[in-house]
Amino acid sequence: MIGSVPGTTWKADDGLHVDTRGLGPPDPMVAILWHVENLPPDCPIIAHLDRYPVHLFPELVARGCRYEVLETRPGDVRILLRPAP
Amino acid sequence: MSMSTGFLSGARDRLLPASIPFRFFLSAALFQILAWVALLAGAEEVPGFSGGAGPVLAAIHLITLGVLAMTAMGASYQLLPVATRRPLARTWPAALSFWLYLPGVILLSWGMASSDPRAMLAGLGPVLAGLALFALLMADNLRRAGSVAVVAGHGWGALAMLVAAATLGGTLLLSLASGYDAGADQGALAALHMVVAAYGFMGLLVLGLSLILVPMFVLSRSLPPGPGWAQLGLALAALAALAAGFWADLPLLSWGGLVLAAAAAGTHLWLMQRALSMSMRRRLGLPFVQIRAGWALLVLSLALGALLMAGAPVPNLPALFGFTLVAGWLLTFLGGVLQRIMPFLASMHAAGKSGLPPLLSELTAEWALKLYMPGHFAALALTAAGILLDSPGLIRLGAVAGMIGATAFAVFAGRIAWHLFSRIGRS
Repeated sequence: MIGSVPGTTWKADDGLHVDTRGLGPPDPMVAILWHVENLPPDCPIIAHLDRYPVHLFPELVARGCRYEVLETRPGDVRILLRPAP
Repeated sequence: MSMSTGFLSGARDRLLPASIPFRFFLSAALFQILAWVALLAGAEEVPGFSGGAGPVLAAIHLITLGVLAMTAMGASYQLLPVATRRPLARTWPAALSFWLYLPGVILLSWGMASSDPRAMLAGLGPVLAGLALFALLMADNLRRAGSVAVVAGHGWGALAMLVAAATLGGTLLLSLASGYDAGADQGALAALHMVVAAYGFMGLLVLGLSLILVPMFVLSRSLPPGPGWAQLGLALAALAALAAGFWADLPLLSWGGLVLAAAAAGTHLWLMQRALSMSMRRRLGLPFVQIRAGWALLVLSLALGALLMAGAPVPNLPALFGFTLVAGWLLTFLGGVLQRIMPFLASMHAAGKSGLPPLLSELTAEWALKLYMPGHFAALALTAAGILLDSPGLIRLGAVAGMIGATAFAVFAGRIAWHLFSRIGRS
């Protein structure tokens, strides 16, 4: 449906990393929500963005997804996401 | 659901204060009611309307200036910085533009409705000042645009058209209110003013912001910039050819402009269809019923424009064309967009000390939208039928349906604002 999912991903001990830095709107939001909807709930996601995703949070709340902001430096914003069980 | 506490307050600082876009949106909702009231008052004159002061002229400008441009200003202040990744340099000029523009629109439309030249002239200055401030703020933001050049390109085009539309509108108003002779055919000037304002300023804003907004609403990947540039090039060429064709009375050039406009609309609809086909959202909801209807009415407005240029024997075709363009395409489309933007913005702004944004469903009143949409579509159908059949009675019915729908929309908008500002007050 969506075609290829934007951004790059890699697996690490702390979960799946989704790097959306350098993408134009709305690709970061689309990439993160795609992973939130398609990964099992026991797999945390660490989203990397280059700016604070104010538009993302209402969508996360609507999906019952828990989130924690880990880092907020300009160009390096990291958010830990736990999809709803 | 948030595991963070107090963080979104930082995020809110990066948003425009909620009061700025919402003052524009709430005013637009109220002007929509007034527009249908004015149409009700001028129902007799609608079918054969060809210009001149009175309730019909007021109704047109209550929609174009009061609803469409008012919404465009509020949405652009909030959304263009998102698209360009550059915040507004200062927010107070945006607030000032509202306080100039609002009384200007009230005075101007009152002057038009009551054929009072002093009120019209008194309103013209603040309206132009508000629009000029808006244009300067947008130009500054576009100048600093760091990304999505194709959206910024549409923004520049829209600003150029705004300057042209305001100049033509000011000239026509001076002529109407004070007898100033512009030395040109008033009918041609008025037609040019309508095309430049509706297809030019509003049309280019709609085409450009849709490249970001529609993928964001439906959750699809960003659209390819190539066709976006093509739609902009085709639209600008169409506007130039139509303007030159009208001005120099060269029908062949005008026909060329119409073909280019159809190609621009076709490219836009192809892009929008592409976004919809990649959508991650299972249910697009009521707003997209209106957005899709708006796209269909854009095509219908171009078809009616072609019939008008061909001199087709359709009764009251100029009035039908203008109504389809302004109330059909633009008002329907923007009504749909506002249904999505307002709850979304409110949710972002309303995150309290917990950092938890409320659910969109907590902020919206779906029942009001279920009343607004049939009211709006009934208003369009009845008024269009009234124009075609030369029936003021049908137009009055259409205006009443429009008033009911617009009132429901104002309740929807007011409820969101009430929830938003009471949450902000509490936190």
